[in-house]
Amino acid sequence: MSQWLQQVIDRGQAIDDWLSPVREQALESLRQTNWPNRRVEAWKYTSLVPLEQLTLSSDSTKTSTDIADIEGLNSLDLIFVDGELQSDITAMTLPEGLHISSLRDAADEQKTTAKALFSQIKPQRHLFGLVNDVLAEDGVIIDIDADSHIERPVRITNLSTQGQESHHRVLVRLGNRSSVTVIEQGQGEQASLSTGFAEYDIGEHAQLEHYRMAMHTHKAIHIGGCHFSLQEQARLNSTLVGYGSQLSRVDVDIIHNGEHAKAKFNAIYLLGESEHFDLHSTIEHAVPNGTTEENARGIVGDKAKAVFNGRIHIHRDAQKTLAELNNRNLLLSRRGQINTKPELEIYADDVQCAHGATVAEIEEEALYYLRSRGISRSQALVMLNFGFIQELVNQMPNQALAHWLQPKLQARFAEMEVK
Amino acid sequence: MLKIQNLHASVEQKHILKGLNLDIKPGEVHAIMGPNGAGKSTLGYILSGREGYEVSEGSVDFQGEDLLEMEIEDRARKGLFLAFQYPVEIPGVSNMEFMKESVNAMREQRGEEPLSAAEFLKKAKEACKQVQLPLDFLKRGVNEGFSGGEKKRNELMQMILLEPTLCILDESDSGLDIDALQVVANGVNSQRDGKRSFIVITHYQRLLDYIEPDHVHILANGKVVKSGDASLAKEVEKEGYAFLGQDNAEEAGA
Repeated sequence: MSQWLQQVIDRGQAIDDWLSPVREQALESLRQTNWPNRRVEAWKYTSLVPLEQLTLSSDSTKTSTDIADIEGLNSLDLIFVDGELQSDITAMTLPEGLHISSLRDAADEQKTTAKALFSQIKPQRHLFGLVNDVLAEDGVIIDIDADSHIERPVRITNLSTQGQESHHRVLVRLGNRSSVTVIEQGQGEQASLSTGFAEYDIGEHAQLEHYRMAMHTHKAIHIGGCHFSLQEQARLNSTLVGYGSQLSRVDVDIIHNGEHAKAKFNAIYLLGESEHFDLHSTIEHAVPNGTTEENARGIVGDKAKAVFNGRIHIHRDAQKTLAELNNRNLLLSRRGQINTKPELEIYADDVQCAHGATVAEIEEEALYYLRSRGISRSQALVMLNFGFIQELVNQMPNQALAHWLQPKLQARFAEMEVK
Repeated sequence: MLKIQNLHASVEQKHILKGLNLDIKPGEVHAIMGPNGAGKSTLGYILSGREGYEVSEGSVDFQGEDLLEMEIEDRARKGLFLAFQYPVEIPGVSNMEFMKESVNAMREQRGEEPLSAAEFLKKAKEACKQVQLPLDFLKRGVNEGFSGGEKKRNELMQMILLEPTLCILDESDSGLDIDALQVVANGVNSQRDGKRSFIVITHYQRLLDYIEPDHVHILANGKVVKSGDASLAKEVEKEGYAFLGQDNAEEAGA
């Protein structure tokens, strides 16, 4: 038992609220858990030493809660600072069919919804998911009535400030034939720890457009996850953006529980300096006739390190599954590192599956050619190497979000100068 | 325009240029001929700034500035253009996007506003016609799947669009049939305006039938061994490079 885990358990035992019965199960699991070291497959390339060495200050002065508006997005904003919801939901005018409440102040009806989701979709194997189960005292519950189409995107932002530890939870239920867009955004630069886990139950014929922006940099440690359960004919279109800090990790689970569901998952990561970003995705095809398309693409510069582990698991009964997984990387420097592992585990015999992973380097010849025509080195690098990232940005269904993200990613790329 | 003095250079520890001198005035066309391995292409690469070449001695003055101190892109922006012998293929970047970026980089250097997409398209179409390439070549990836001759014409199209002050043509005639050769030669001749200078690097005299040089230099074993007027090229055509002597020819061919 590590010291860090022990203090989580101690703190978790002291929490007494309406989620305590669920938390107790997680506590029990944590008591049985060994602190992962590098010999544990799920943490092979990601060291938890920065977390163990993190010293958090007790200085609790909150910094600004300003979240930049995204032009044209017209979102319903739920803003957390260090895991505590700052927005006044009761003051918001919500569209018909959309119900939002905080985890802390949930009414009985919403508690029922929450209990049906909390730790019900997220697999038990995620250690920090259990930590979040135990310690998340705040969060949001989003419930969408059947047949409701919510036009305004719901944007949930968590800011991590200096010296703070935070754990927040997002629980979303999409009623049958409903649709919604949810954006989860995490930000922070200074020494801090945040865990943020989200569980989505996508009802029959319902459509979820989802974005996870893990924009933690520098000393902000973030470990989180998005976990989706797809019912019959459900549609999921999810895009993840990872920046990488001294320790950033996101686990994604897409679970096909109903037939004829379709999932599309795109992930982009851009890392420079000594940043670390780890994406583990698992697609579970538990039933027949499901479709999944996953594209993860990243650029790694300087001494940064990316870890991608993409698993597709097709169960015995999941005949006629279509599943594709592709991971493309560009390594800008000799000191950078990319660890990629696509995994296919297939137990059904009538499926179509493909997977692949590549790591490419800068093409010096092409770079020289463009420069010899007066194009600056940084512009040439963008022209040569940003296209495959741009493609995924272009695929984002929300144009306003894509327009907002595009220059941010390009600026970030331009800073990842080749060493 | 360009003054090269006692240039020594090596690549991967191999000494290639061994005291090369060249003086090019505005408006002049200089042909550089010589056997394989004499250092002709190396000269073009060094002038354009390609990495991996080490200059151990000598100087290159380009319009009053030290060329060897400049970044690759700055040399281009100041008017130096190298038409490559083997242009690289860049799938994923369209010819159009590439040329627009480079034309606008030149305009920025001159303090001009960048061209709009429509303005550029008009210019690009004209240049495309001039080098007799079908217009869909603008949409294709840079040099992607182009034949040898198409690549050479694509280089020429860039030269026309970028309006350089010094053009270096590295074996722009190699692998061309007679029609393509004429297209390239006509393109070059159309750019001769009495101010723009050219260095035409070629193994054969053939191209010089169409592009009349003011000066011809024979490069062997890393330096200019003989200079003359256009008649020198004809001499070489007739006699070959045998006059360089056994030693030179052998080393040059190594």
